[in-house]
Amino acid sequence: MRNAYLDQFPDEARVIKAAFWSSFIALAIGGVLGLVQALHRTDVFRFIQSPDYYTVLTAHGVLLVIVFTIFFLVGTFTWAVTTSLDRGVVDTRFTWAWYIMMVIGAALAGITIFSGFLESAPSILGSELNADVLFTFYAPLEAHPFFYIGLVVFVVGSWLAGVDWFRTWLAWRRENPDERIPLPTFMVLTTTLFWYICTLGVSLSILVFLLPWSLGITESVNPLLTRTMFWYFGHAVVYFWLMPAYLMWYTMLPKFSGGKLFSDPLARVVFVLFLLLSTPLGIHHQYLDPGIAEGYKFIAMTNTMFLLLPSLLTAFTVVASMEHGARQRGGEGYLGWLKALPWRDPIFTGMALAGLMFAAAGFSGMINAGMNINYLVHNTWWVVGHFHLTVGTAVALTFMAASYWFIPQLTGKELWNRSVALGQVVLWFIGMTFMTNAMHRSGLFGLPRRTAEPQYQGFDFEPAVGTVGEINMQVALGAVILTLSLALFLLNMVMTSIGSNSESIPDNTYADTLSGAEDSPRILDNLKLWTAIAVVLVIIAYTLPLASIIDAGGLFGPDIEGFRLSTWVDPAVIESLSEVIR
Amino acid sequence: MNIHTYEKVWIVASMVLIVGFIATITYGAVGPGIAMIDDDGGDINPDEINDDERFAEPGVEHVGGNEYEVTVVAQAWSYTPSEIEIPANSEVTFYVTSRDVTHSFSVVGTNVNTMVVPGQVSEMTAKFDEPDEYGILCNEYCGEYHHTMEGKLNVVPEDEFDLTELSVEADDEIDAGNETTITANVTNGMQEDLETTVSLEIGNQTQEEDVTVPGDGSEEVAFTVDSADLDEGDNDWTVTVDDYEESGTLSVVTPEGNESADGGDGDA
Amino acid sequence: MRISKGALLVVVAFLVPFVVEFRTALSWFGIKLSILESLALGGVLVIGLLLWAVWPEDGNGGTGAAGSS
Repeated sequence: MRNAYLDQFPDEARVIKAAFWSSFIALAIGGVLGLVQALHRTDVFRFIQSPDYYTVLTAHGVLLVIVFTIFFLVGTFTWAVTTSLDRGVVDTRFTWAWYIMMVIGAALAGITIFSGFLESAPSILGSELNADVLFTFYAPLEAHPFFYIGLVVFVVGSWLAGVDWFRTWLAWRRENPDERIPLPTFMVLTTTLFWYICTLGVSLSILVFLLPWSLGITESVNPLLTRTMFWYFGHAVVYFWLMPAYLMWYTMLPKFSGGKLFSDPLARVVFVLFLLLSTPLGIHHQYLDPGIAEGYKFIAMTNTMFLLLPSLLTAFTVVASMEHGARQRGGEGYLGWLKALPWRDPIFTGMALAGLMFAAAGFSGMINAGMNINYLVHNTWWVVGHFHLTVGTAVALTFMAASYWFIPQLTGKELWNRSVALGQVVLWFIGMTFMTNAMHRSGLFGLPRRTAEPQYQGFDFEPAVGTVGEINMQVALGAVILTLSLALFLLNMVMTSIGSNSESIPDNTYADTLSGAEDSPRILDNLKLWTAIAVVLVIIAYTLPLASIIDAGGLFGPDIEGFRLSTWVDPAVIESLSEVIR
Repeated sequence: MNIHTYEKVWIVASMVLIVGFIATITYGAVGPGIAMIDDDGGDINPDEINDDERFAEPGVEHVGGNEYEVTVVAQAWSYTPSEIEIPANSEVTFYVTSRDVTHSFSVVGTNVNTMVVPGQVSEMTAKFDEPDEYGILCNEYCGEYHHTMEGKLNVVPEDEFDLTELSVEADDEIDAGNETTITANVTNGMQEDLETTVSLEIGNQTQEEDVTVPGDGSEEVAFTVDSADLDEGDNDWTVTVDDYEESGTLSVVTPEGNESADGGDGDA
Repeated sequence: MRISKGALLVVVAFLVPFVVEFRTALSWFGIKLSILESLALGGVLVIGLLLWAVWPEDGNGGTGAAGSS
């Protein structure tokens, strides 16, 4: 008797499948745009106008770091809650409602961004439909109101998803009053809690300041204020999209390695630490911002460094669990056990390679977090290298590997081709190696990020090693390999979905633990306590900086109107304009 | 709570690492004195940049000794001034603000790197020991020609650096037989006095005058030119002080209605 | 085979970051490998690895427990 997720929760399986496919579509479009950018920036092949590069970049960013990751997250979390509580959601109509809300939000923001490619975009609500403002939408760059509305609708959809998980957990709690929260559900709930805390900042920023301003209701914004409110959310969101990957590493990877999770109590400690520390460190993205006193930056820096702890603990637990699995499979010796791991399995190999790349990302992250050394790399391509290792590999590669497990679970169909899948995860690893190595190196000699043509009239870059041309070739090569890998992934997903039903789908279970929940104090499950502490930490870290920003610039800033820089300008005009200025 | 021994060791090692990182960063701040960009620059209304004491005339100013101040206004998609010259062995404080959107002011390959947020003034101090040439670029997306936004920072040898400015006032023409004055105005932006020589070349003659221009002041030198020493028609002149020169043309004309060139006492 | 095919593939993949980073690291010591030289180095390592992997272990004809996934 087959006991896949589809057999246990057929209704939930349909919503999760829909969420995954939404996420794959965003991944497909965003990934192809990534190739366009890589080829354009490196001057290997330019077939779009440079001003359009920024439209491509906005779409690449929003589609991949918001739409792809969060759709995958809501799917994974719904799976985790229902599987670990062994009960369905309270009402699948509610589940469909938040999913559809997220689709509407994503579509609205997406359409607004993509109309930036049109020669003459339609004018709606009194302004042209476009949003060439990048993923960070720093005012006074101004997007069409639909972009902001789309983002808010998407985020509110994700809030309702959180309500759904909490509701399901509370229903389970009534049925099982004395049991510990199962680990996967514990991870989902803590993650959701810090998501509520952090998205409050960006939602207020949009609803109170940016949306009324783009609609012409208010006249001016305070750019430093909206920027600070963005980063209040902007670093927690990176943990938000990382948490499903962590959840897979903790609850599935030990199983795929053939063993058990090393320690349930420490996994709980890790997630509590993320709940506490994810938000009060956003100012570390603003180390180089004027108008924020050094002391606040120092607080953000210490919080960031302490957030290394949960990731270092995860590194230990995950490797220890893998070793345990390998030894169960007959592995021996100090390092010889590595040979005994199931390297033929794309799910295991993908996740293991993703975890390894995440370790490398941790190193460059420590550099970024070091506020004085950050001067050298801030806003250079180094940073882009860093987050292609984090969200681009640790998260994306784990998600792709997990999909090889999830899609058969959700469809009841066997994975189309395991060898192609193995090749795909290995190609992703190789492609990222080429690309991020070059990006990191180029950041050290100051090559900027977010630039269509990093070639300047008045000076040349002086790499300590190699040449700029070589770095460009390495990035382009990496991007081509990554696109190939992405195509293989999507092919496998499509072929699996149109394949025929199979009876040999493994049971839907998650990893057992060597040291279980009973080894941890009950206080770890006291979500109210941790939430209260998290809120206090946020208040400590943010009250004074926000107060001083508002005190200096006012809530709405000194008469700062929006700049819609996306209207098409004749390059010749610009050329003559800059001549005049010189 | 049951924690494995190896895990305890690992936690302790992690904490040591974290505290070590914080310690090195703190050392960087207090030891070598790497200060963060902060709120010292104050705020400014972008619409009032042209009336602002500091930003009305952006550029290099001498504070005294080896200290300089450089003010820069960023806007889509250029810096004013686009080219900055400072001497080696100097300590330079940059003040940068934006007229429109968020930019950055980043001197390539150095630690001089700041965000430029409209409404705020970024202030940062850096030392330049050796003569060199640096590119300046904007590394924050600021619109569709963001990639064209660049500048230049030239660090020149100390003895080649000054903040001298020369402007000359001169008539375009004089009547034959008359005299005119060519006035050179030498401004000294440095805080120390400037001892130099102003010279005027006109026709085939040269006049020179030694001047001492006070620190942060200016001095006028007037040269009297007699048309009798010049040829009829155009006479090119050049005023030179140190490496600066300004040229023009002085035309000697015969007053209206007078055919002869030798005198102004015609029948007019 | 000394290791499973899957493990062999992963080890070969690992050579890529190894060669790329090794080349970066060497250049700090003034040893600059050209792209061709780096490719040659990678090729030699891959061939060496393959030879090692397929060479039968002494006195142990069959493959081990590894690679049975």
